[in-house]
Amino acid sequence: MRRIILFITFLFLLLTSCKQDVDFTTSEPSYSVSNGPLRTYRGNTGDSIFKAKVDVNILKRNLSEPLGVQINAFGSFEVYWDNVLLGTNGQMAKPGRAEIYGTETTFYQVPDELAKPGKHAVTVVGTQSAMGDEERNVNIKLRAYVRLLREPLLIMSFVNIMAGAFLIAAIYYFFLFVNSSRKEIPVLLFGIICLFFFTLLILEYSKYYIDIPYTRFYIRLQIIGWLTFAISILIPWYFMLQFGFKKKRLFLLVFIIILVVIYTVNYGHYDLTAMLFSYTMWVASMIIAVKAVLQKIKGGLIMLCGLLLSAAINKFVVYDFGLFITFTIIILCMLYLHTIRTKAIEEAHNASLLLSSRLQLELLKKNIQPHFLRNTLTSLIDWIEESPKQGVVFIRALAEEFDIMNTISEETLIPIRQEIELCRKHLEIMSFRKEVCYNWEEKDIDENETIPPAIIHTILENGITHSMPPKQGCIHFCLSYAKKENYKQYELLTLAENRKPNKKSSNGTGFKYIKARLNESYGSNWNFESHATEHGWLTTIKILDNK
Amino acid sequence: MKVLIIEDEARIARRIERMTRNFFDKDLQIILCDSIENGQNCIENEAIDLLLLDLNLNGEDGFDILQSCVAKSFQTIIISAYTDKAITAFSYGVLDFVPKPFDEVRLSQAFMRFMTPGKQTGRDTQFLAVKKAKTIRLVNIKDIRYIKGAGIYTELHLADGHIELHDKSLEALEKLLPPIFERIHKSYILCWHEADKLIVEAGGKYSMLLKNGENLPVGRLKYKEIRHKLI
Repeated sequence: MRRIILFITFLFLLLTSCKQDVDFTTSEPSYSVSNGPLRTYRGNTGDSIFKAKVDVNILKRNLSEPLGVQINAFGSFEVYWDNVLLGTNGQMAKPGRAEIYGTETTFYQVPDELAKPGKHAVTVVGTQSAMGDEERNVNIKLRAYVRLLREPLLIMSFVNIMAGAFLIAAIYYFFLFVNSSRKEIPVLLFGIICLFFFTLLILEYSKYYIDIPYTRFYIRLQIIGWLTFAISILIPWYFMLQFGFKKKRLFLLVFIIILVVIYTVNYGHYDLTAMLFSYTMWVASMIIAVKAVLQKIKGGLIMLCGLLLSAAINKFVVYDFGLFITFTIIILCMLYLHTIRTKAIEEAHNASLLLSSRLQLELLKKNIQPHFLRNTLTSLIDWIEESPKQGVVFIRALAEEFDIMNTISEETLIPIRQEIELCRKHLEIMSFRKEVCYNWEEKDIDENETIPPAIIHTILENGITHSMPPKQGCIHFCLSYAKKENYKQYELLTLAENRKPNKKSSNGTGFKYIKARLNESYGSNWNFESHATEHGWLTTIKILDNK
Repeated sequence: MKVLIIEDEARIARRIERMTRNFFDKDLQIILCDSIENGQNCIENEAIDLLLLDLNLNGEDGFDILQSCVAKSFQTIIISAYTDKAITAFSYGVLDFVPKPFDEVRLSQAFMRFMTPGKQTGRDTQFLAVKKAKTIRLVNIKDIRYIKGAGIYTELHLADGHIELHDKSLEALEKLLPPIFERIHKSYILCWHEADKLIVEAGGKYSMLLKNGENLPVGRLKYKEIRHKLI
């Protein structure tokens, strides 16, 4: 919010400072090479000295402020005001001496006695031995000299604040990315965008304090062009990631092609290219934002508003600033989106903690839920009354199952052997209760493997519940393990006649527990299947390798 | 006498069977079922007198079967681990709820309830389940004005004037109904709220005038008790 206020003040300052304080008109420059005839173009002058003359007419100005001249031109030259030398820019070529390149923008003070309202002539005399093909016009601008110098300072002060903020943001997000256990691409992307934007700002305004020889004038513009290109790609990409956009690659590819086309078609028109880049980016972001709003994704509306606002501002402000304001608003939106996302992650984390403790409880409840405990106790009483010795064996089995439950209750993964022990104890108890023979078999168990606690136990419980007691013999449970190329698999086969399925089956809660446990430990990298087979029931748990 | 035991745990089923035999010792026929499906078949095909039902069978909720059972002529005793379901069970009109684990004493108490004729104390029945075509309808006890015995059935006379048939005998219902209901005649159970005046008619006949103007006979043996209660 503070940054937004800062920006608005900044805008006002710019608008007020842009007001022309000198009322003047200029003529088109007329050129002559080596004192030749006057002409309207300069041509490739090479080492020859050219002269460019611009007539200016000062209509009105504040006479208490010294007058300044701003000249935008390529070459190394001397500047004359009514034939009085104001200053030089670089050093022009002379026979036997190479040119020392001047810079593109220069400022000169006009002596007060020459700066009266009326007609004057500005003459630029110099050479442009390099980049002869570049025929940039000589542009003259008159302002109070102090303002000419102060304006860049004013702009710089705000731009540096902004750039600093983005630099800090970039560093912060890089650190966040490096130190986070989840290497999240959006975080990295955002860091890169902030860094690029910082560089863009610094480069764009470096013209005010670095004398770039005109021969290198376009290098800066080229870098700015590439940065704009990169940012124009990264921002929609970031939004796509943030809003879970489908067909990201296709969209991005089309987008890049459009940008490249813009670049090639308008090659050399740096400002236009950058503007078209940002427009394309804006349209792409808009598509994503509208889609996000339609899908009711959190943050979509904010993003849409931000984009509309940036468009509105862009319409009313000179392009040069418009671009940066657009970018800043969009990046602010992104920052906001990022906080929303962080909040969501935090909430998901809390939820997962909550789930873990709920699962712990669920596990503990398995042994104290009335159906298990009271039925077990009832059978136990009966055993003790009927045959105390067997009753004692029963009690010990029960105590051992409780023991195992107790040790595993706080774990999220336990050794497979412990799980098997739990199952065997449970079968022992159930055989006392149901007076059915239960037989446990295992195949190819890898003792080093782990598994979420009590999930096979839960499948076993279901197996006991849904199997008809056999007239003769035992109910067989067979646990087998298999390690395949990119997954491992547990299969529990119950060999018994299934009871007829009931509409209101209680499978739900048991399966929910298993699935929640698998989720907790393996994310989405698992598969759970349970279905009747010819001879009983087969449950398969597939744990996929981490991608 | 026929007793049906629906219980999925073999050990517990045998325990219940043993205790039931000990209690009733004479010509007793016990049928054991380990699933609701078998149990329901048995109920359809055998004329049983008493049902001992576990509420959670192989992971299935026994309340469905309970609703259809209580509409029948036999009495139902629940033997269940889910003690928190006791109140609900009573409101459906079961004779007793024996929580697991149980001993012989507790089970005998339930059987005593079954054997003792007349009213039981502290009944909480709120509904009577009535069979209608193929569905079960729950009649709120509050809507019953009086109940009339009609052979092996009973007629529930409701406040809105409707009459519903119930499969349980007047004797069986008497055990289930809350204290507000009084047996006033060998063929009538009356809700006290409906009673207006006790009338002595010529010839030593007694009758009860109800608030809606209906007249119900009062048994000679019941007269004293009822007069006492009215005063």
